[in-house]
Amino acid sequence: MKNNYKKIVLAGLSFMILGQSCNKYLDKAPDNRTEINSVEKVAQLVATAYPTADYLTFTEAASDNAEDKGNGVGSIDDVTTRPYFWQDVIGSGTSSATAYWNGCYEGIAAANQALEAINTQSFGNEVLPYKGEALVARAYAHFMLVTLYSKAYVIGGTNDSPGIPYVTEPETEVIKQYQRGTVASTYDKIEKDLTEGLALLSASAYKVPKYHFTPAAAHAFASRFYLFKGDWQKVIEHANAVSSNFATEIRLTNSALFNLSTDEFNQAFTRSDQKFNLLLANQYAAYQRQSSPRYGYGEKLVAMFGVSGNITGKSYANKILSYGVPNYTTYKYREYFFVTNQISNIGLPYMMSPLITTDETLMNRAEAYVKLGQYANALADVNTMLSVTVRSYTATDAATLAKVATYYKTTDAAQGLISLILDVKKAQFLQEGIRWLDILRNRITVRHNVFDAQGVETFIELTPDDNRRVFQIPEEALLSGVPLNPR
Amino acid sequence: MYKIYIRILCTRFSYIPKLLLMMKLIAVILLASLMQVSAASFGQLVTLKERRVTLERVFKEIRKQSGFDVLVSTERIKSSTIVEANFSNATIDDVMQKILNGRDLTYSIEDKTILIKAKPKTVLDKVIDYFSGVRIIGKVRDKSGAPLPGVVVKEKGTNNAATTNERGEYQINASENATLVFSFLGYKTAEVELKGKTTLEVTLEEDAKQLNEVNVVSTGYQQLDRKLFTGSATKVKAEDAQRNGVPDISRMLEGQVAGVSVQNVSGTFGAAPKIRIRGATSISGDNKPLWVVDGIILEDVVNISNEALSTGDANTLIGSSVAGLNPDDIESFNILKDAAATAMYGARAMNGVIVVTTKKGRQTQGAPRISYTGNFTTYLKPNYSQFDILNSADQMSVLLELENKGYFQHTSASRGANGGPFYKMYNALYDYDEATDTYALKNDGASRTKFLERYANANTDWFDVLFKNSLLQEHSLSITSGTEKFQTYASTSYLHDSGQTLGNSVDRFTGNFRANFKLSEKFSGEILANGSVRDQRAPGTLTRNSDPVYGTFSRDFDINPYSYALNTSRALTAYDQNGNLEYFNRNYAPFNIINELENNYLTLGQIDFKVQGGVKYKIIPSLTYSVDGAYRYAKTDRQHYILENSNMAGAFRAASDATIIGSNPFLYTNPDDLTALPTVILPEGGFYNVTYDNLKNYYFRQNLEFDKTFSVDHRLNVFGSMEVRYIDRQTANFDGVGYQYSNGGIVNANYNYFKKAQESGAPYYGMSYGADRFSSFALRAAYSYKDKYSINATTRYDGSNLMGKSTTARWLPTWNVSGAWNIDQESFWPKNDVFSSARVRATYGLVANLGNANNSIATFYNQVSRRPYENEKETVTYISSLANSELTWEKLKELNIGTDLTFFKDRINMTVDVYQRNIFDLIGSINTSGIGGQYTKTANYGKMRAKGIEFTLAGNAITGGDFKWRTQFNFALNKNEITELEVNPNIFSLVDDNGGALVGHAQAGLYSIQFDRLDHNYGYPYYIDENGVRNTYVNLQSTKIENLKYEGPIDPTFTGGFYNQFRYKSFSFSALFTFAAGNYIRLSPTFSATYPDIYSMSKSMLNRWIQPGDETRTTVPALLDPFTASQVIVNADGSTVSATYPYNLYNFSSERVAKGDFIRFKQISFGYDLPKSLMTKLGLANATVSLIGNNLALLYSDKKLNGQDPEFFGNGGVALPIPRQYTLSLKVGF
Repeated sequence: MKNNYKKIVLAGLSFMILGQSCNKYLDKAPDNRTEINSVEKVAQLVATAYPTADYLTFTEAASDNAEDKGNGVGSIDDVTTRPYFWQDVIGSGTSSATAYWNGCYEGIAAANQALEAINTQSFGNEVLPYKGEALVARAYAHFMLVTLYSKAYVIGGTNDSPGIPYVTEPETEVIKQYQRGTVASTYDKIEKDLTEGLALLSASAYKVPKYHFTPAAAHAFASRFYLFKGDWQKVIEHANAVSSNFATEIRLTNSALFNLSTDEFNQAFTRSDQKFNLLLANQYAAYQRQSSPRYGYGEKLVAMFGVSGNITGKSYANKILSYGVPNYTTYKYREYFFVTNQISNIGLPYMMSPLITTDETLMNRAEAYVKLGQYANALADVNTMLSVTVRSYTATDAATLAKVATYYKTTDAAQGLISLILDVKKAQFLQEGIRWLDILRNRITVRHNVFDAQGVETFIELTPDDNRRVFQIPEEALLSGVPLNPR
Repeated sequence: MYKIYIRILCTRFSYIPKLLLMMKLIAVILLASLMQVSAASFGQLVTLKERRVTLERVFKEIRKQSGFDVLVSTERIKSSTIVEANFSNATIDDVMQKILNGRDLTYSIEDKTILIKAKPKTVLDKVIDYFSGVRIIGKVRDKSGAPLPGVVVKEKGTNNAATTNERGEYQINASENATLVFSFLGYKTAEVELKGKTTLEVTLEEDAKQLNEVNVVSTGYQQLDRKLFTGSATKVKAEDAQRNGVPDISRMLEGQVAGVSVQNVSGTFGAAPKIRIRGATSISGDNKPLWVVDGIILEDVVNISNEALSTGDANTLIGSSVAGLNPDDIESFNILKDAAATAMYGARAMNGVIVVTTKKGRQTQGAPRISYTGNFTTYLKPNYSQFDILNSADQMSVLLELENKGYFQHTSASRGANGGPFYKMYNALYDYDEATDTYALKNDGASRTKFLERYANANTDWFDVLFKNSLLQEHSLSITSGTEKFQTYASTSYLHDSGQTLGNSVDRFTGNFRANFKLSEKFSGEILANGSVRDQRAPGTLTRNSDPVYGTFSRDFDINPYSYALNTSRALTAYDQNGNLEYFNRNYAPFNIINELENNYLTLGQIDFKVQGGVKYKIIPSLTYSVDGAYRYAKTDRQHYILENSNMAGAFRAASDATIIGSNPFLYTNPDDLTALPTVILPEGGFYNVTYDNLKNYYFRQNLEFDKTFSVDHRLNVFGSMEVRYIDRQTANFDGVGYQYSNGGIVNANYNYFKKAQESGAPYYGMSYGADRFSSFALRAAYSYKDKYSINATTRYDGSNLMGKSTTARWLPTWNVSGAWNIDQESFWPKNDVFSSARVRATYGLVANLGNANNSIATFYNQVSRRPYENEKETVTYISSLANSELTWEKLKELNIGTDLTFFKDRINMTVDVYQRNIFDLIGSINTSGIGGQYTKTANYGKMRAKGIEFTLAGNAITGGDFKWRTQFNFALNKNEITELEVNPNIFSLVDDNGGALVGHAQAGLYSIQFDRLDHNYGYPYYIDENGVRNTYVNLQSTKIENLKYEGPIDPTFTGGFYNQFRYKSFSFSALFTFAAGNYIRLSPTFSATYPDIYSMSKSMLNRWIQPGDETRTTVPALLDPFTASQVIVNADGSTVSATYPYNLYNFSSERVAKGDFIRFKQISFGYDLPKSLMTKLGLANATVSLIGNNLALLYSDKKLNGQDPEFFGNGGVALPIPRQYTLSLKVGF
């Protein structure tokens, strides 16, 4: 009996050792994969916490920066045509709303994996800037999602319409259930991540700072966020933290940029060595290839760059190219063709999207000044912008309250100034997709012309409370218990 | 100590069966007495009065008078036994009592049958027997004199038996004049009469035939007695499946085994055929069977996915490791089909297993036996009569119509990327000769017509230009020699194939050595070494690309000779009027296919070497410990030679004018100087690009096998095994740019090439590793009772590293139980010559396979950020897959019921298997909400059900005498259906040639966009779009799939073969037919909105829409003029659609589908054995000459295929259809 007992113990032990060594044997990674086990790896992972797809294609086409150029003009493509008619694009193809949704959550997943590694392993204080970056990046992606896929935030409103799922931990099951929460709760979480993250950021933590949330980029994002939230003082504070001298750090459209060749020009817009680019992201996009869509930037819209297009009575210095009238383009983006096979020259199109610029921050501040009644400050900011965008700008071209009243035929200075700011932005940010944010925030009705087969022009409208202002969530979200937006 | 312990354990076990036996005896006696009671009450009366009648007569009389049949199930009484019959109105009971009186027999009556059998002995009887009989002792040895343990010694005609001990000794009590029967597996049974002797020494002779061919099933782990094997397996002897002239052994299985389908998706040497055992089991993972060679799993150097097999990509050439085996070295194949058969492969067994056994040395008393086989094969060129392709005159008339409609105008045609006759014409118009002040071609109608006339009349036969009748030779030499204790087999072979086309050739050398030894009765072993070297040439090819937006597949610079011949206009010419190569334009550079095949080619070199060894140690006769190990090392390199004169190198240099510079994508735009023109980055030389694929594989296994027969009737076999597999794969590639072939190989690369490579993210070299670790534990127990009933149970526990670091997901237990009943062993089985034997089998079990997901925990990879400027790049880490805590293996539960019947003294075998499979936890792509950060996940998401029937009728119908006939007919039906799938496939993934997956349909089904009709005014096509509306545009990304048409599965559901071999004296003749049905094929995508003047067109083009009204008679769309193509086609919602969409959709429409059914005349062979008299004069042992034809004809296929092979729908690259070929084969033995 005693003998048997010994044998059993021995057999059991040897089995355990065998089992152990087997598991060790099977721990070998099957390929070149890596593990998140150092500060360096955390930093590398957070570098992918940014949206991997673009929103320009559908937000531009849906906005009043697009027009129907007529039968047989330009090219037709679902990703521009359907948003123009405020219809949902089917599938998750490049530049669709679904692609952007997926792209944002991809970035969020990277942030969450990094945060999980930070929480479960002890990396020390060295990791804090990347923790901050992960939090701010997570806040940014969720902010863009709630802006595009939920009803617009109403300042002072209840904001109890459905938000978007705010994800704070890595997903480990195939289909996980999520809650949309409300727009208000989503905003709260964004603000929490943003505040917490912003405090941890370091300007010197990055090898290529412009592709990361530097403190400046994070403050610029905060100015956008608080502008939506209506916290005007914070908009100004954060904008001030971005730059003390916007005049030299925004796009010098009428000087430095004006002198560039077309190729150099679109290179500049997507390059990190330009001061006005605060945050760039490499996004899988084909927008830069949409050189002349039928439903796009055309003859009617180009007028805003002309002498009668703005308050100064002078034309803008922006580069406008034409693939033959009426196919216009600002040609701001240079494609990066990532080649997977050099011999057969096949690859993937990328765009280095400028997600946040000093120009936008300056105009955010101007808008906040108006809201606070500081019209002089607002005018100063607008004039800073005009001074670098209007051709042969002189001090006398500066906008004044009187000019605004005349030009916009209004006695309400605030309303006039807001109109001025939006107009300047519309022209300066043409084909950058962020006009859509102004439309949402300022409840602008979008009007599109439509030519039928016989060439008869009619108009369609998208009013401020139209359900179609909210882009559609992918159908598959239903699997996760997330309801789609009403149509 | 260890040994003794084991022995004690074993003896103890043996008590149990004895006890069981006693209990069983009591039961039988009880049963018999009950029967007697019932018989007595029956009371049929018999009258028969005759002296000295045979029992046969008595029994006939009983039947006549009472209707009772009499069956005798013992040999102790014969029908010729004489009895005294004196019955008058006697009951059957009385009659039987009298007849059997004093004979130690008993009888029972059941269902009007009287069964006479030996009277079961009571315990008392046995005791009496023990003392009354004679005790015989003796020893059994084999021919070498070594003692044979485990031999069954039986007193003939009784159940009295004993077994020899490990010293070969036995003792048995038997009656004085009994006959003892000595039987042992693998040895000839010996019968010895006692004749009063009390000691008996016996020598048994080996019966190699019995051991190898009939009674043993090789599972790769065990050589298992067929009686103990209860699964569904088919053995194919290599000599019966010979395919002389076909050097790849995987093709030997064509049409041979019910349930095994071999589809020749490419005939190029080394490209694996698509083999399915019992159909596909996985939607996204592997469906190919596991190859096991001499007990070791044969790993593939690269893993080729289901779809990739038919792409023609260069790595398909190394997709099949069996290409390194010499067909002449193969002894047999064993195809393991059901869960019981494949159980020992547990978690890799789902797709069935092919166990290959190579030849072993034989006992030749030390004399060498040399054998030579030579095959000399020639190919037949394909010809246009098989295909539906326009001749040059018709082609030119179509082109002229296009010209009239506005295509081929000067500006576009003369500066286009690709160009044929029109390109040449326009350039000739501007080819000014200063000396004569003339242009090469005058710009007037007559001159232009004359210029084009040459091409209209060309009618080039591209098959004739590009294909060859060249010779394929195979030489194989083998030597075997052996004694009782040591046998060797050594062989070498050489294959030289000059190639079917201008661009192909292969050399292969193989060497094989195997030695088996036996140091003692207890200790034996073997070592094996085999290797192969391959040197192959194929046309240069790049990887195929797919474009999901327009729905097209493309391959740049494709020069596959077969697709070139099929797709190139016959109005193009290979040679000009002076007999020099004539160049047209491709990728902005001059192109001639003959020149290109010479200047742009791949060579594939492979060295594959395996050493293997195994030893067996018999601890006690019934317990064997064995160890097997193997090491394999394979190095493969693919060298892509792109010479400076090739079109491919030329394309990199095409910069002759501003138009071309602006549009040639192979030029380089410097991001640092955007004002400069794009520049050439390959100013000199060509490319020398190399890809390496290497494999290192260790394998180790130890087994413990217990095999013992208890009390004669009980046989138990328990097999335990533990194994480890270790595979390292390495792949590397290198772009050798600027190699100057014509300048002695100097390298003068332009730095801009590397700059571009660096900037665009395509490094000029790369290397990666793959590691595959596997370990498993298995236990199998088999028990058989009296050779009548066998049951089998297997369990196995597998672990793999491929799913990631989670320690729970990586392990998987599998199991199965099975049983067989040999009905013919039952006493009631009437021994007869017509229906010789019958056996039924049943299996239920679980097997599995690793799917292609490896994310049991989140997986991260590194990447250089995809950004354009050097100072903006950094290393990033990205999530490849989120963790899937639910990840598990793909699994299959199978129920198989089969029967093996033999007829006419075992001459004809019939096997029928019916099975039902439930396949679950299938892995595939599933679109999720995207909220977790991964929109498309690979997860266990589906279920599938499959069922099938397999039927084989085979045998030597006529044997003996001068005329012999061997025949084999088999067919199998396999249908599968996806029963659950949590996925929303989009239209594009469903209309793929390789099929899509959808609930309610086959694993891979072919779906089409429904063609509606042609437009009345312009002749462009309409379809039913995703919303059910007639439309010119269908959104291929849409997941609304209700309006797609399901055509059917892409894999055949019915497959089989019919083989016959006739021999008359020295002549033999054989023929093999194969057939398949039930699948659908997408026709090649030949329609497009515009047609360059270099591509061929199908004859259906002649039947195209030409004028309004034609839409009622034809479904072939019109040739559109450029205006219509860009402006007129209207979407259902009124907007304009580019013609590219509807014309590409046509290729995916219901108009472009054919049935895959075929009957193929696969092989015919005539053989002649040279006469013995001649042999002796020449000093040969034997010699055979045969003439063989392979792939002779497609006897039936769908007319819509227009002669295209339904098995071959390869898309260029290195893929070629299987050739028609004739072989002269010579076999000589010394």
